[in-house]
Amino acid sequence: MSDEAVRMTTNGASRSFSPAPLDRSRGLGDFVPAPDEDVLVCRCEEVTKGDIRRAVHDGMYTMTEVRRYLRVGMGLCQGQSCTKLVRRIMAAELGVSPAALDAETSRAPMRPVEMRVLGNEEAAGGADAR
Amino acid sequence: MSRIAEHPILGTPERGRLVTFSYDGRELQGYEGEPIAMALHAAGVMVHRYTAKRHEARGVFCAIGRCTDCVMVVDGRPNVRTCMTPLAAGMDVRTQDGIEPLDPDDPRAVRLASMVTDAAERGGE
Repeated sequence: MSDEAVRMTTNGASRSFSPAPLDRSRGLGDFVPAPDEDVLVCRCEEVTKGDIRRAVHDGMYTMTEVRRYLRVGMGLCQGQSCTKLVRRIMAAELGVSPAALDAETSRAPMRPVEMRVLGNEEAAGGADAR
Repeated sequence: MSRIAEHPILGTPERGRLVTFSYDGRELQGYEGEPIAMALHAAGVMVHRYTAKRHEARGVFCAIGRCTDCVMVVDGRPNVRTCMTPLAAGMDVRTQDGIEPLDPDDPRAVRLASMVTDAAERGGE
């Protein structure tokens, strides 16, 4: 095992590793509808597996692109439910390992916070909060 | 519907005092300090909100505060995770429609009200 591979496995895999960009010139073939296209993947933004597969065929080859295209993982839960599923669906569609995809951008906060709390105007959950 | 009496990991839950709270304007009872979702479940409430785009009913999904599927309008604040928020006496809990409280005249609100009646009359224990 190379040093690079060891670092990947001990450091939490793809998080600290920027994979090489995928070759966009190669085709993915025609989009073939599957019986499970209606399965809801991102519950917050209401995006189905079919939406994600089609987005890949529309040219969205990275997690970042698919997020901006479909808003998967950008809803209330910030991708805590769907990010891994999105990654696997994209990887399967692209015919690569899930680790070959870029790491999605994760930002604080990890729980729903009101804008005025972020703005430091009031304490969270204030009784007079409006 | 019932509450968990004995949990394999958490053991026997300690119950606070029985308090009254409001669910879509109707009085329900629950134990102080238990998650709002637990009190609602015991009363037979399965629908916590309707989604903004597809207008689908949602309820408890992950139950550990990650998925935000169980959010409701609590004391006027939308997007409150009911599976994580402790119940307090006099809370005003409302079904969330998109990001607003569900209109009481909406046919869905009428249907929800009819669903909870039976369970509430059974005692919700």
